[in-house]
Amino acid sequence: MEEKLSREEVLHVANLARIEIDEEEIAMYQVKLKQLLNEIEKVNEVKSYDEEMLICPTDNKCELREDIAGEMLAPKEALKNAPRSSGNYFQVPVVIGESGEAGA
Amino acid sequence: MTNYIPTIGIEVHVELKTNTKIFSNALNGYGQMANSLTNVIDLGYPGTLPTVNKEVITLAIKAAKVLNCKIRREIHFDRKNYFYPDNPKNFQITQSRTPIGYDGYVEIEVDGIKKKIEIEEMHIEEDTCKSTHRGDKTLLDFNRAGVPLIEIVTKPCISNSTEAKLYLEKLKELLFYSDISDCKMEEGSMRCDANVSIRKNQAAPFGTKCEIKNIGSISNVGLSIEKEIARQAKLLDNGEHFKEQTRRYDDKLGDTVLMRVKETGNDYRYFPEPDIPYLYITDSMIEEVEKTIGMLPDERRKTYIEKGVSEINANKLVQNKPLSDYFNTLLEEKTDFKIASNLLLGDISAYLNKNEKAITETTLTKERFLDLIAKIEDDTLTSRNLKDILETILEETTSIEDIIKEAKIANITDDNALRTIIQKIIATNEESVLDYKAGHDRAIKFFMGQVMKETKGSANPKLAMDILKEELK
Repeated sequence: MEEKLSREEVLHVANLARIEIDEEEIAMYQVKLKQLLNEIEKVNEVKSYDEEMLICPTDNKCELREDIAGEMLAPKEALKNAPRSSGNYFQVPVVIGESGEAGA
Repeated sequence: MTNYIPTIGIEVHVELKTNTKIFSNALNGYGQMANSLTNVIDLGYPGTLPTVNKEVITLAIKAAKVLNCKIRREIHFDRKNYFYPDNPKNFQITQSRTPIGYDGYVEIEVDGIKKKIEIEEMHIEEDTCKSTHRGDKTLLDFNRAGVPLIEIVTKPCISNSTEAKLYLEKLKELLFYSDISDCKMEEGSMRCDANVSIRKNQAAPFGTKCEIKNIGSISNVGLSIEKEIARQAKLLDNGEHFKEQTRRYDDKLGDTVLMRVKETGNDYRYFPEPDIPYLYITDSMIEEVEKTIGMLPDERRKTYIEKGVSEINANKLVQNKPLSDYFNTLLEEKTDFKIASNLLLGDISAYLNKNEKAITETTLTKERFLDLIAKIEDDTLTSRNLKDILETILEETTSIEDIIKEAKIANITDDNALRTIIQKIIATNEESVLDYKAGHDRAIKFFMGQVMKETKGSANPKLAMDILKEELK
């Protein structure tokens, strides 16, 4: 039998990505996402000699930037590519109630 | 209602007082025109790379130090993934695995008993943009995107709302005094979340916790914790179970309301930020920072009290950092610190408030202040005639001695001259003499008033009182 994710798992992922998917797509992703995960699982088969997680492939260390201001965009410039704006603000559909706000 | 035992943990975000943002060189500012403090990094443009602001690391080390944290020497950043318009690159750069500070504490005092509020960890992260909801649209201002934050997380070791409030007051004071953040809750540069759960007794496992987000003031932290404890207790009393959830405190309702049932930690799919290599915190970096940490509030209070300042005045001084800094310049001197604190918090504060000035904007150098204190100590000046010349003292550079001469203030300290005046007053106020002899306090006050009126406030008060009492015998 074909390996599958559960319907709930697919819907959960869709919800995190804030996308709507129909029944047909749910069925398709149950299979496709599982295949994708299986591919990624293969990484675990690699014998790793170092327990420590590698976050950077080079030995470079993080260089720090002096706290000096540089050039900034004018508000008009910043808003140039926005599909919708209002005054100097970017405008998006109302999103209250399902905040994923990270800094807050 | 059953008496439950609450368990409370607090998370605080504070914005760091830097010149530029954490990962870009756009200015870190508040109250500016929307979207005027941004560049392509803050807006999350593809292909941009973050560079770490040195001052952020300096201030984070400083915060770790004043919060008694251990400092991790090898740190990196992580991505917290979520899909929401306040962060168009769809992840927030934060620290999940290697928070810069851990195992710290803040000491509070409840009814004379000291308690350490333990800090689990503190980490560095970027702020998101500010969203404002208007009807059916949400407006985004990216001036806040990329403002450096530290998040300070306590262990679940807070037992009630009083402890929570004391902890936050102390934390705010420490961060403000170390110039790490301006900690203005009303401007969002300090934001609090509280995790609250309750259980039947100490032996019982922890109850289901609920998080109250973004509480706007310290007093509301207290209120929202009390409301949340009551809400959970009522549910448990009714035998109801509830899920972990995020709530917020509604000021108008005076209660917590549901925001959402929580996304779990896994949903954020943290992974290391590959664009920023390991950052090493060296001994010399820490030593440099340590040199910049001045005298902290608790030490100031203790020192002031040891120098003879009243507890009330010591607290008032610490609440006003510029005055406290000024007061500290006197500490090595031999002077009457009680008079010094009374002057600073009394007439001088009144002048500063009225004229919207800082003490450093006046002409009151340390030397002139010491002279002024001496003049009050030896009764050359009374508080009454000080009022007449205070403005001159604070606005001109003439010596205190000359200002007093110029104003023709010379306290009558001549025993005979004062005695003659007092005898005259007693002779013309027989009724009050009888009053005094009948034991009425107000009589002596009346006589003092008359003496001051007659001498235009220039009588040495102590001497006048002594003579009055002798003459009234």
